[in-house]
Amino acid sequence: MRRVLLLAAAILSALLLQTTIFAEINLLGAKPELMYLITIAFAMLEGPASGAITGFVGGMAQDFLLDAPKGITALTLTLLGYAIGMARQYIVSPSPVLPVVLVALGTFAGVLFYGVVSFLLGQLDSTWLYLLRVAVLSAIYNAILTPLVFPIMRRAAQGSRSRRVVRW
Amino acid sequence: MALRSRARSTRLLVVTLVSISLVTITVDYRQGDEGPLAAASEAALVVLTPLQEAVSKVTRPIGNFFSTLIRLPSIRHERDILAERVKVLEAELSTTQADADRLAELEALFQLQSGLGPKVETAAAQVIASGVSNFEWTITIDQGANSGIAEDMAVISSGGLVGHVTRTGPSSSVVQLIIDPDSFVAGRLEVSDQAGLLAGQGTDDLQMSQLPQDAEILPDERVVTAGYRIAGVGQSLYPPNVLIGTVSRVLDEDSATEKFVTVRPAVDFSSLSLVLVVLSRDGQR
Repeated sequence: MRRVLLLAAAILSALLLQTTIFAEINLLGAKPELMYLITIAFAMLEGPASGAITGFVGGMAQDFLLDAPKGITALTLTLLGYAIGMARQYIVSPSPVLPVVLVALGTFAGVLFYGVVSFLLGQLDSTWLYLLRVAVLSAIYNAILTPLVFPIMRRAAQGSRSRRVVRW
Repeated sequence: MALRSRARSTRLLVVTLVSISLVTITVDYRQGDEGPLAAASEAALVVLTPLQEAVSKVTRPIGNFFSTLIRLPSIRHERDILAERVKVLEAELSTTQADADRLAELEALFQLQSGLGPKVETAAAQVIASGVSNFEWTITIDQGANSGIAEDMAVISSGGLVGHVTRTGPSSSVVQLIIDPDSFVAGRLEVSDQAGLLAGQGTDDLQMSQLPQDAEILPDERVVTAGYRIAGVGQSLYPPNVLIGTVSRVLDEDSATEKFVTVRPAVDFSSLSLVLVVLSRDGQR
């Protein structure tokens, strides 16, 4: 139950912050992609299943704020959450830079994927160059925000994890 | 083995979620503005906008602080230029300062309204949030259907044309800005009166096309809305003579039939606060 609440709180915060405070603070014209950040963080902390669910719910929530067809962000983030969760199982580096790198790469790949799917649906009105620029800038912006966001999420996730003696 | 079944159930979960996403995309793509998803979209507006309003109220000063910090060098330059201008203006002021002040106050209050004409009904609204995506340029305002706002109504600010309403909830609306790549505005050059189509380019200047090849374009020429009306057919989305922006560059395209021009929008979309929604023109909605 606490996990659900944590997820809901994280997704809601991401949406609110993205549309209010980060509307004015942008990096060379690009906004961060907080939902991508939340999804990757959850996937890193809780595994591929949690990553996929976070991505799906968060993506759907974000989609309903768009005028574009609903579901594209959900699709992108579900796959992204799953991929990061799976990747995390194979990467054993304890480096503190790992979250930043995964967030940067994940955001970049995710935004590109979103652009490609939008293009296939005929919904992409920007040029490929713009897509690339947004992917790079939002990846950097997300990476900058990771050291601030990730520790908070790690603490919250650990707090809401049920206490079990044996963990698979 | 427990591990393998866990991986399999995860995969099943992901496949299910991906399938739901694809179905959602397809249904929404085909149903467009009607259908259950549009209703859910409106529900999201109803739920989220009060929160956005609250957050916006708190964070606006914080956001202003940070964006001011970033813009500090150019602000200093602006301030120097403005200081010079103030000196010049102060020198020009006559002794009827009190009357001039009062007149300015009243004019500012009615500036937008009178600029549009006596038969135009408007509703004022506050911007409470911007778009969530890097690919859509929208704002959310704090007035909705309860204030008489409906889709496709034009939205303007004291700087110029802002956009039009695309979705409404009971007490909030989403406005698509003219800089959105999906936005097309019929505009005309103020001096030469040539008409063209202005397409949004996101963070880049608007692009004006369909100008005749021999059109004479002055530097920094103002571009206003064309506001056409075709009897029996309909009228343009936007009221006429609203400032869109100024010409920034004339592009040397090789097209033999039309000229392309970039137009810098008059409105600073990153600092929009108060807007007017045009409810009706000439008494018609």
